[in-house]
Amino acid sequence: MTAAGLVRPRRPRRRWLLAIEVAVVVLLVVAMWGIAPNWERLAQAPESLVRYGWLMISGLFHNPFEAPWSAHWLAAIGQMLASVAMAWIGTLIAAALSLPLAFLAASNVAPRWVVIPLRQVLNLLRSIPDVLFAIVIFMPLYGLGPLAGALALGIGSVGSLGKLSYEVIEGMAPQTIEAVRATGARPFQVVRWGVLPQVMPEIVAFWLYRFEINIRAGAILGAIGAGGIGSLLKSHFQDRNWDQIGIGLAVVVIITVIVDSISAATRHRIIAGGRVRPDPVAQLS
Amino acid sequence: MTTVAGRPRKPRTAWKVWAWLAVVAGLTVLAGWSIDFTLSPSIRNVDYWLRTILAFITPNWSYFPRIVEPLWVTFSISLVAAAFAALFAIVVAMLASRVTMRIEWVYRLSRWVLAVWRSLPDVVWAMLFVAMVGSGPFAGTLAMIAFGFGIVVKLTAETIDAVDRGPLDAVDASGGTGFQRARVAVVPAILPNFASYALYNFESTVRASVVLGYVGAGGVGTALAVQSKAGNYENVAMIVLATLVLVIVIDALSWLLRRWLSR
Repeated sequence: MTAAGLVRPRRPRRRWLLAIEVAVVVLLVVAMWGIAPNWERLAQAPESLVRYGWLMISGLFHNPFEAPWSAHWLAAIGQMLASVAMAWIGTLIAAALSLPLAFLAASNVAPRWVVIPLRQVLNLLRSIPDVLFAIVIFMPLYGLGPLAGALALGIGSVGSLGKLSYEVIEGMAPQTIEAVRATGARPFQVVRWGVLPQVMPEIVAFWLYRFEINIRAGAILGAIGAGGIGSLLKSHFQDRNWDQIGIGLAVVVIITVIVDSISAATRHRIIAGGRVRPDPVAQLS
Repeated sequence: MTTVAGRPRKPRTAWKVWAWLAVVAGLTVLAGWSIDFTLSPSIRNVDYWLRTILAFITPNWSYFPRIVEPLWVTFSISLVAAAFAALFAIVVAMLASRVTMRIEWVYRLSRWVLAVWRSLPDVVWAMLFVAMVGSGPFAGTLAMIAFGFGIVVKLTAETIDAVDRGPLDAVDASGGTGFQRARVAVVPAILPNFASYALYNFESTVRASVVLGYVGAGGVGTALAVQSKAGNYENVAMIVLATLVLVIVIDALSWLLRRWLSR
């Protein structure tokens, strides 16, 4: 055997892949120009991070049960709970709207002429940011406040919940549907007894997952005037109340982590059932 | 002889289930009450609906040239932020998976820090960076890097957890270092998934960066804030339509790329 037989084969290389890579890099460089980076300020950022970070942390170390600080903590917690309420109501609205739409958009339940146009509508809804619903429709109608935010989250979540749900419905075992159909059930009865019991656990898990997303989105809507913790933080940032910003951020982190873990535990319980079943991924997290 | 077996009794729903449902219903009522839930304004204000629909049918086209630049800035913010977020994420994700990080306390600490990091919404990052580097698209970019990083890191770390053990054992058996292990056995395996997360993050960044303008972090949101406060519905409609076109085009491109990657 000659050594030539052991020469490593050349790695195949597609020329158009290189073209795409070059295009992306060029676009990136041009885009860097567009964002007008201020390197001087970035160089100072670590210093100001330490300074502001210290101010924020010092807000946390005042006795939270003493005169001005207890009021700051209570205000932050109250506003954060309003954000959570906004996310919850928004998620419920989206769940109620998306469930029937998901059945109509699943190709194993609904006829083609319903499925295809409805999916386009869901795709369109999914690409519209929640913020736009709030700005264009709900804030002018309902004024500034968490209700406008809840409605915007509700409509804004229909697209993605609808898509996730119809994918679950399409992925279900077809035998159940056949069995129910074989008993002479009408389409509605097929959905009620054949599809619903099988897909509900996963769909409810998606609702809870969306709720977790909406808690964060609720804070965003707050910053554009929908009330809740976002509005509170925005006004503190405008006034540079660093110690109160620190308290506000701590409340955001703590309540988000608590609600997330309750929601994640519930999701896990719904999907995996009551028995303790070790889940490799959950154990790692 | 056939005895028809009686239908088995349906097991009764456990009282715990009812108790939980009652708690959830109670919390829902409380939540609805705390935000003064009502739907009446959307029925009462028919003229607002008409005006808005009319504005969207006849947007102010002459306003379009003035939003080209803000749209470009929004696009730039998203592109640069998505690229840097992905770059930082693949490095840090190595610290946040037991597969690549075998020092227990580093792994635990990074998981914990990332959980806190992710609990901050993008707009909070934007406000923080506006305070630190001044208002403008640069602050917005830094904010979207910080936010997108949290998302991509989480998804990538979970993919690393699930990576095929075979190549890992092979590198260990041949005496590879931790870095070589990550380079040879982990990165090639996760690259398609990672690229798809990075693209997904790019899509969401474009959508999220609309809000940046509201806190002074540049882009098309700044124009939207001004025009909607002034009540120029035709201009608002123009901005919204143009933004939607940008979002939909990027979604479609990214979807095509992701489909190509997953082949």
